[in-house]
Amino acid sequence: MTLRLQPVQVATGSYDVDGQLVFADGLLVAVLVRLSDDHNDLAGMWFLEAGFGRVVTTELALFADIDKAQSWIEQRLAHAA
Amino acid sequence: MNSAPNQHAMGMLIRKLESIATLSKKERQAIERLPVRIHNLDARQDIVRDGDQPTHCCLILDGWACRYKLLSEGKRQIFSFHVAGDIPDLQSLHIQTMDHGLTTLTNAVVAFIPHESLRELTARHPGLAAVFWRDTLIDAGIFREWLISMGRRSAFEHVAHLFCELYLKLQAVGLAGDHRCPLPITQTDIADALGLTPVHVNRVLQEMRGRTLITLRSQMLVIQAWDELLQVSEFDPTYLQLEKRAAR
Repeated sequence: MTLRLQPVQVATGSYDVDGQLVFADGLLVAVLVRLSDDHNDLAGMWFLEAGFGRVVTTELALFADIDKAQSWIEQRLAHAA
Repeated sequence: MNSAPNQHAMGMLIRKLESIATLSKKERQAIERLPVRIHNLDARQDIVRDGDQPTHCCLILDGWACRYKLLSEGKRQIFSFHVAGDIPDLQSLHIQTMDHGLTTLTNAVVAFIPHESLRELTARHPGLAAVFWRDTLIDAGIFREWLISMGRRSAFEHVAHLFCELYLKLQAVGLAGDHRCPLPITQTDIADALGLTPVHVNRVLQEMRGRTLITLRSQMLVIQAWDELLQVSEFDPTYLQLEKRAAR
């Protein structure tokens, strides 16, 4: 399984617009959004805006950088396999 | 430390009960005679834990508390927020084992009332037993509203609904007025209560500020557009069953 990122602008209803679509083997599995300065301590972190299938979670999924976000998504998908 | 009557402490309870019912002079006097032990607690200190079998109930005198349950991976669900005058663990009087915890969210002053004294009070004054029952029924009504919000309201509507509820509850016991109320809880507390992430709560608060519905500064919530907030969350205060409802 390989992840592919595609930059995207997301209408979150906030200043958090810079995002990445995350595809696994061609299928959309997650939408990540970079948090804006509005979030104080959390600004600059990557937030799991939406997950699909195994990537769905009710917990707060926040990552210091995009690599950590990808590793986390890979782990979730690996459990499914 | 022994339990002793404390008129100030019981004044808080009387004020709360009179916000949802009418008390006779005799009933007020009986409440004032209840023996209590006063404790000063730090923020984020457990008052009763899940599984405990307490022998007293906890009346909040100052500060905020919440009922909660912890899940795996540190996940926490908050069920309700409590302020001065509330007895959040009243159920322990008749249900022996706690099925959730009660913790302070801020520094708090609480009064512990022995179960024995509360049992005696309600046996001697059936009117008061009915008032306590009414309080737990209203509690259930609040849970129903929270369930509706959890299942069917958007994050924006949900936060708006919570603010309307908190304001009216605080106003009913004299802790808020002029559409201003203290809100000494964090965005994470709000998120844990509403089943949202702190990120979503922050976005909603920013949007509310942007639409000049509220301001939130130094732990003080100012509702600038009360009617709009009611409208957006389809807030109907009937479920709070407040005797004297001044806000509109």
